[in-house]
Amino acid sequence: MTATNSSERRCEEPAEPAKSAHDVPERDGAVIMSARAAMRSLSFAAPLHPILVHYTIALTSASLLFEVLGRVLRQPGLSLTGWWTLALGVAATVLTLATGVASRMSLDIGEGTARSYLRLHMVLGPMFFGMLVATSIWRGILWSAEVTPGWWYLISLGATSGVMAVQGYAGGELVYRWGAEVEGVVRGLRQRQASTPAPRWPPAPTRSTRSTTQGTAS
Amino acid sequence: MSTFLGWNGLHWLNVVAGLMALLVMTDAFVGHYRSGFPIKAQYAPFVVGSLVVGASVLTVIMPGQHWVLELLWSVGLLAVVAGLVGAGYHHYYGITSKPGGYGWLLHHLMYHAPPLAPLSLSGVGALAMVAAEGLLGGETLFGLRLQVVALVVVAVTLVGATLQATLLHYRGAFNNPLMYAPLTTPLLAAAAVPWLIATRGGVAATSVSVLLWATFLVGFVGLGMHLRGFDRMMGGLRLARPNVLEGPAMAAPALFTGFAAAGLAALHLL
Repeated sequence: MTATNSSERRCEEPAEPAKSAHDVPERDGAVIMSARAAMRSLSFAAPLHPILVHYTIALTSASLLFEVLGRVLRQPGLSLTGWWTLALGVAATVLTLATGVASRMSLDIGEGTARSYLRLHMVLGPMFFGMLVATSIWRGILWSAEVTPGWWYLISLGATSGVMAVQGYAGGELVYRWGAEVEGVVRGLRQRQASTPAPRWPPAPTRSTRSTTQGTAS
Repeated sequence: MSTFLGWNGLHWLNVVAGLMALLVMTDAFVGHYRSGFPIKAQYAPFVVGSLVVGASVLTVIMPGQHWVLELLWSVGLLAVVAGLVGAGYHHYYGITSKPGGYGWLLHHLMYHAPPLAPLSLSGVGALAMVAAEGLLGGETLFGLRLQVVALVVVAVTLVGATLQATLLHYRGAFNNPLMYAPLTTPLLAAAAVPWLIATRGGVAATSVSVLLWATFLVGFVGLGMHLRGFDRMMGGLRLARPNVLEGPAMAAPALFTGFAAAGLAALHLL
């Protein structure tokens, strides 16, 4: 029972204080002062999935925005931009999915809350892609027929974007809350590592300053 | 004939057949690798599937070449035959030659060679034949209109895929409600196709279209759920080789998507 409680607590938040900010080694070195040092600091080890996912999110969201603006402002040019951003979004998402599977294959993760988020992320990924492909085919048919998309199309694109938002949030939790594929952390501020609490401002009045103040007043 | 993004329905059928041959080979490789390729005939789906992919690519690159279309037709026929022979092999080595034989039918159906899986190669081959016949200028195949042949192929393969999914999901004890999904819309879509062919009515056409779109999406949901299935096992995809071999069929849900796409191409573009 105690073990279950402790493991549940560990899922929610770390049971014991971390050695560093997130219990992973600090990888932050010296301050970079020259171009040569900057070049030497590059490792090119960043995983591709978190990079590519931004293209998927940006292109799909931009498509929704352009389509809505095109519909509201009655500007066919904006709607056309919505179609091409969506088409590019599908192409980017193929790479996003492939790198996502590659990232999962290299991720060492045990059973727990984080892995539940990972499973949700893995279910929603192909589901979102299917919705994106279906919406793109629909938009492609409208583009071929030179028809401006109606509200039903916008609703379906909105639903696709909604699934994408949930999917992106689950991925964000994995990286920023549990540090999936994060190699190290930045060096924290000094006051965070000090044993005494950080100084407050304005400083609380001490006994001597208080008596001085009272004496002056009297 | 209507077009989508510059291609008519026959070109799209060819592309879908080529892509689905890749999917069929993926699942066949996993299954045959698991058994260790003890029989030379287990290499057949890769030879035939590669020929389908090659002929499909050639058709995309050189759509007007007569010999390329003849090649696609022949390779499609070969795939149909290979799928049927494969089904015979799966029946013999998966059921008949196993201890208990038909007395242990359900056990063998669930745990040995999937009895209907090779027929997906036949379905892919039939779609390639329809595409080749149409691109060669023909309007019928075996006395039936190309659109009807394509829709019948889609309906039959969807029924087969549903039966195969039912067996394997039954083995998995339907542990998630979404495991019932392949038993719903694909089956309804397959059932609606004869209604459409018989009546040619607008309501029937709309119903088939909506159900095929739903089946198209169900395939993607299945892909996600099968990925989750791998990750429910110890180590997940971090230990990809054992978990992919023992987990759910990797590409099988995409076949629902592929056959639904073929059906939609046949319905709207032929």
